Amino acid sequence: MGKKRKHSDVEVPAVKKDETAAERPKRTLLGWKDKPETQQESTGFRNREKVLVTCSRRINYRYRHLMLNLVSVLPHCKKDNKVESKATKGATLNELVELKSCSSCLFFECRKHKDLYLWMSKCPNGPSVKFLVNAVHTMEELKLTGNHLKGSRPLLTFSSNFDKDPHWKLLKEMITQIFGTPKEHRKSKPYHDHVFVFSIVDDHIWFRNYQISCPHTGADKIDRGGLEKMTLIEVGPRFCLNPIKIFGGSFGGPTLYENPFYVSPNQIRSLEKRQKAGKYAKKVKAKTRRKMHEMTNPLETDEFADMWKE
Amino acid sequence: MAIKKPTSKLLETLPEDLDMEPSESDLETESEAGSESESEGDEDVKLAEPSKTAVYNKEAILDKLGDISWPEDVDWMHKLSLDIDQEQEVDVNDDLARELAFYTQALEGTRQAFVKFQTTGLPFLRPDDYYAEMVKTDTHMEKIKGRLLSEKRRIEEAEERRKARENKKKAKEVQAEKQKERAKQKKDEIESVKKWRKQRQQSGFAGGEKDGDMGLSFEKVKESDTSKKNKRAGVSPWDRSGGKAKQSGGKDRKGGGGGKRKSREFRDSKYGFGGKKGMKKQNTAESANEFKGFNKGDSFQNKKRKK
Repeated sequence: MGKKRKHSDVEVPAVKKDETAAERPKRTLLGWKDKPETQQESTGFRNREKVLVTCSRRINYRYRHLMLNLVSVLPHCKKDNKVESKATKGATLNELVELKSCSSCLFFECRKHKDLYLWMSKCPNGPSVKFLVNAVHTMEELKLTGNHLKGSRPLLTFSSNFDKDPHWKLLKEMITQIFGTPKEHRKSKPYHDHVFVFSIVDDHIWFRNYQISCPHTGADKIDRGGLEKMTLIEVGPRFCLNPIKIFGGSFGGPTLYENPFYVSPNQIRSLEKRQKAGKYAKKVKAKTRRKMHEMTNPLETDEFADMWKE
Repeated sequence: MAIKKPTSKLLETLPEDLDMEPSESDLETESEAGSESESEGDEDVKLAEPSKTAVYNKEAILDKLGDISWPEDVDWMHKLSLDIDQEQEVDVNDDLARELAFYTQALEGTRQAFVKFQTTGLPFLRPDDYYAEMVKTDTHMEKIKGRLLSEKRRIEEAEERRKARENKKKAKEVQAEKQKERAKQKKDEIESVKKWRKQRQQSGFAGGEKDGDMGLSFEKVKESDTSKKNKRAGVSPWDRSGGKAKQSGGKDRKGGGGGKRKSREFRDSKYGFGGKKGMKKQNTAESANEFKGFNKGDSFQNKKRKK
């Protein structure tokens, strides 16, 4: 393996200088290796994205399954152990990502055993986003009947309103890099048989994963009517992301964007409780009001009140 | 599963002493209580108006975007991302419409992608004989299959039951109709007999035999109808029940059939004619001439010993 890497490093500059590479095929451990056709588009771009997926302690079972589902769907990710969620979590996470030589991170933070926050960040100094995750459905639900190859590269579809605002554009770029499997990744499988849907509805990002089932005969040609007869079957998982804040640094840094509509789940719960608590207070108030009203408007004495009193 | 449910106006009913967020516009905004949405379990309520202190640093965002994005000339095959135009605004709370919107977005996207793939000429569709690890295990897929099949069966059974019920209703109606007809017929015939009798009376009892024949003909016709009823008049002398045994009704006759008939005829055919008590052992001519029981099982025993 080490030999191979060195080999390729040496090769690339050679190819740059001289288009027509040497004739003789090089000998490697695994046999004769042909010349640069199989190399990455030589001067080109190689997606070396690696995602670290971790969670905090005391995560709910449902969210743990969601995390495991994502791990199985992204072949370019590394799952790591639980992380203690204490004050300096930003620093520890950055170190962890460095250690594992990953370029981005998905951190699932579960608070109060109820709320799931997802941190998506590009390390080492890229932006990071904190989302609140709702409406979680994992792949194990029996209503989601689709299935696809583990590790096949997904097609990513974005709704057009990702291009409307700068913060959506940034999120789109991050999502493309994190959720898109690199092209010649070791664990990736050929063929494209599933598609991700990211769409913005009501200022939330909704995620869906569908299996593509298309009638075809060969591996590279669809039947004539095939495009029309194509159906999608949902594989899962499903979730909905509510962006809270975008930071300039990885797990910290200056706040670049704050969602003006965001209300934290704690506040929602406390509001509800206050509303319920208010019931009694209102009743008491209503009573005193009634009393005051009665006092200010006394009833006329009833002539017939004593009629039946004997 | 309803994911988003419209809430009661939570943020409207804020008590005056609540001091949540530093922005002073809060109390007004909440009392307006515009768009609120709730998601399952995790209530997700939106503020009616955006809070005024939200940070939005557009230039910095675009800077960062420039930092992280890949170079412009990257082949589409690396990104595999498509932008689909959404025609209509989707209401978040309408589950079906929302899912439909996602589905159409995905469908549109895959169509465009497949067109692109076809032009490149590389294989992109999974052949049927390509077996590899799938994201859901086989056992899980079996469970799914079982569930789908059981649902289908349940639906079919419900359909069948409904149909059977309707058929039964119809059959009952038809039966009721027939009964009415028969009753009417009977009434008519009785009326005609009465009329005939009156006529006969009036005409002074002339021509006996002919009328007798006429009378019988009526009775014959009625035999099939009254056979099902309790025949008081037709009690045979050897009838131990005295004619009061319950005869099977018309419906039972139809429903039972075969081995389940309780009618007199059936039982007669099966058990013979129940007669007077103690008629089983009698000295009749036949019984006196029998030699059956004398050598008890003789021939049989001989056969056994021989073997």
